[in-house]
Amino acid sequence: MKKPVKIVLISIVVLGVAGLAAGLFLFNKKHSDLNKVKPDFKIEASIIQKEFEENEASATSKYLNKIIEISGQIQSVKQGDGFASSINLKTGSEMSSVICTFSSSGDISGLAAGSDITVRGECSGFLMDVLLNNCVIVK
Amino acid sequence: MKRATVIFAITFLFLAANAQKYMTRNGYIGFYSHTAVEDIKGDNNQVASILDISTGDIVFQVLVKSFHFDKALMEEHFNENYMESEKFPKSTFKGKITNLSSVDFSKPGKYDVTVEGDLNIHDVTNKVAAKGTIEVVTGGINANSKFNIVPEDYKINIPGVVRDNIAKNLEVAVTMKYTPVESK
Repeated sequence: MKKPVKIVLISIVVLGVAGLAAGLFLFNKKHSDLNKVKPDFKIEASIIQKEFEENEASATSKYLNKIIEISGQIQSVKQGDGFASSINLKTGSEMSSVICTFSSSGDISGLAAGSDITVRGECSGFLMDVLLNNCVIVK
Repeated sequence: MKRATVIFAITFLFLAANAQKYMTRNGYIGFYSHTAVEDIKGDNNQVASILDISTGDIVFQVLVKSFHFDKALMEEHFNENYMESEKFPKSTFKGKITNLSSVDFSKPGKYDVTVEGDLNIHDVTNKVAAKGTIEVVTGGINANSKFNIVPEDYKINIPGVVRDNIAKNLEVAVTMKYTPVESK
């Protein structure tokens, strides 16, 4: 076989394998670990809740899918009991809070209502409360 | 969705409440698809639901964005290609327990129920009926159901090349732990 032909063939095989590997990597990619991701916003629970309550559309476009580091006082703790655990953070509103849902492996056994906390999570929008997902405890 | 309507509905429910209303904001709804090619599972732990035990009315609301998948790419395809969650961020079910009289809410135990109502997914509303259970426990009510939905019924278009990767019938699982709404 001529040398140039050989080089071309080898390149095609190498590229093919690299492409396949990249494809498999992307296909199996897990979610990024929020412990290592820089937040897009740092905000207090009562402020973000107010923004959603006053103008849901603009707050949604501002915060949806963003990584938010949120601080506030824990209103209640809900152990997952087989499902994902979550905490509610106090806001200025009685009926609406910020719900931070932890990833299923997240351990929140040390948390208690009344204490202050900062968590990082991904905002999925507003239902009755501001919802954060995949949360990790910052402090 | 129109937030004013939601707020009105919630306020109304709160005003009318005297332990007839039960609520959760951390309910679970998941769906599961099994094919020879792959298994797909989406979990949502942020379901808001209200159950009125005097009328049997039951309402569920979820953010499509709150469904989570093991693989990041699945979640991206679910939101962008299939559910179009930026355009249609919420999914709702409004219905009724049709055999309410067979549940004794004053007596702890497990009761079989049938729920019928309107399920809105991807901005398409269909009448659905599902069997489930209501379990009266100390301090609250647990509800469970499993039923199937067909993505095409909700105008969710799955391209031919990947159609065999996703089940024709998705299994939906619902698990709610309600607590009474305190009257103010």
